[in-house]
Amino acid sequence: MTTDRRPLLLMTPALLWLTALMVIPCALILVLAFFRRGVYGGIEYTWTLENIALVFDPLYFRIFLKSAGIAGLSACIACVLGYAAAYAIAAMPRRRQPMLLFFAVLPFWSNYLVRTYAWIVLLNREGLIVNIARWLGYQGELPSMLYTEQAVIIGLVYNYLPFVILACYAPLSRMNAEVTEVSRDLGASAWTTFRRVTLPMTVPGIATGFVFVFVLSIGNFVTPALLGGGQFQMIGNLVYAQFITANDWPFGAALSMVLILIMLGLLMGQAVVADRAAGGKGRADD
Amino acid sequence: MTQPFLSIRNADKYFSVVKAVDGVSLDIRENEFFALLGASGSGKTTLLRMLAGFESLSGGDILIEGSSIAAMPPNQRPVNLMFQSYALFPHMTVAQNIAYGLEMEKLPKAEIKTRVDAILDVIQLGHLAKRKPEQLSGGQRQRVALARALVKRPKVLLLDEPLGALDKKLRSEMQLELKRLQHEFGITFIMVTHDQEEALVMADRIAIMRDGALLQVGSPKDIYEKPESKFAADFIGVMNFLHVKRTGEGFATPGGTPIATTHVSEGVGEGEAIAAVRPERLFLGDAGDNHVSGTVSDIAYHGLDLLVHVKTDLSDKPVIARMTADVADNHRPEIGQPIALSWFARDTHIFPA
Repeated sequence: MTTDRRPLLLMTPALLWLTALMVIPCALILVLAFFRRGVYGGIEYTWTLENIALVFDPLYFRIFLKSAGIAGLSACIACVLGYAAAYAIAAMPRRRQPMLLFFAVLPFWSNYLVRTYAWIVLLNREGLIVNIARWLGYQGELPSMLYTEQAVIIGLVYNYLPFVILACYAPLSRMNAEVTEVSRDLGASAWTTFRRVTLPMTVPGIATGFVFVFVLSIGNFVTPALLGGGQFQMIGNLVYAQFITANDWPFGAALSMVLILIMLGLLMGQAVVADRAAGGKGRADD
Repeated sequence: MTQPFLSIRNADKYFSVVKAVDGVSLDIRENEFFALLGASGSGKTTLLRMLAGFESLSGGDILIEGSSIAAMPPNQRPVNLMFQSYALFPHMTVAQNIAYGLEMEKLPKAEIKTRVDAILDVIQLGHLAKRKPEQLSGGQRQRVALARALVKRPKVLLLDEPLGALDKKLRSEMQLELKRLQHEFGITFIMVTHDQEEALVMADRIAIMRDGALLQVGSPKDIYEKPESKFAADFIGVMNFLHVKRTGEGFATPGGTPIATTHVSEGVGEGEAIAAVRPERLFLGDAGDNHVSGTVSDIAYHGLDLLVHVKTDLSDKPVIARMTADVADNHRPEIGQPIALSWFARDTHIFPA
């Protein structure tokens, strides 16, 4: 008996790429987290658990919680907006849907930094939004929108919304129209049909969208740095600071490690949800 | 006459400029098993969806027990539709699927449970109550979809190709099962089907639809034995068609063979017409009023009977005669053999050409 080696051969380039750029750096970070910081920066190669303990110090752990809060809120908002958009697209005539999806992901064609800078222009004290409010006749003083927690959430939601639209569109477009019709036929109102049939059947898409936005947001450091200003720190900024300014690589590595573990846990949970949904579909055609 | 139970009056349906349902008027009696029979595109499913409330009427009205339901949304109509795809909720168990419609009626939990259990017994799936639809066979899904609609005790149950997705053997079992359930529940059934045999077996009355309009409405026996048009005659069962010409009082083939008949449809004028006779009305020998002889060109074996194709000078197409197994055993028709057949004038229909 000979096993077919062709699949392995096809996977090799991708596996090498991932090993070089994902597995090895992650392993380095994992190891680094257990070394001591040198007196003048750098690394002292003696084992310690101090860095890990420091992550759970209230001072730093608070930043973890705050980041999770912001990421969670961003993911929730993105899911509501994204689901509504995906629902509207899926309700359109089939031949128009590809174009609408194209528009939904169009922002991805421009640079993340450029898109985030655009929000500075919009949210600025003399920015577009303030000017529109003035033009509409608003006289009073407007609070600064830039460099606030809200600005960070706006930026995160905006940047990751297309992921949610795509993730929610997939199960919505696959839904058999007769399943919602039968619910109406059995006496359900349009809202009850949505709540008891459409929504439960598309939960895997929402879960995928939520986890994507959460994972990408919790470790994000560009958006909080640009839109949150200096007064505001998320875990990504803290990691950045440890590596670049504080020169405390072991502590930065420990923070990264905890962050990666949180992300892994969520992604695996999402994979289980998706797999369970897919498993059901696979058997449905027997 | 008492008012009809369900009355469709001059119903029209346009999809932009296409007329899908064209001036359909139909009265359906209480507890009737009614079949809408037609090819795909004949408008039968559109008409069913108009009854369920998923398509609005472009014109006309639909009344149940004298009151119009035309403007009612589907969730308020006293009718339920069983979809061809069954459309079971994949995220609910069998019991939850069936209970759904009762929950919408806001019935007490205890009553819902009693009724769900009772109908699970009827469809004999009580042991699968906690399964999800994906874990059921096609026949089981079909029965769950049926139970989900029946448990609501609608005034009218609409069935869209209810047996279309089942294999042939299961289909004939379910034909009788459906009839039995209809009797047991005393609910009016309106079924859409393209399968003429299914309509003949199951329905009390059949309406043949073509191009959105009703062609003929009647009992299976009427439809089969007294077709009013060539289309109806052709659509139901097998039929021999012969080109004929009017010759004074009677009809004759182009070759001059006279064709005796007692059924001449409306619209048959001077000149060309079509004569029709069922294969089972042809028999060996010359006892009938019409005679034909030729050679056997083909034999199709069907188990119960044989369809013998006979090349004759009556028409270009072979004439088909049905022979029961015992007749065939005695005669052993063989390809190439000469054969003489006849049939009675009362079994001959004349339609306009």
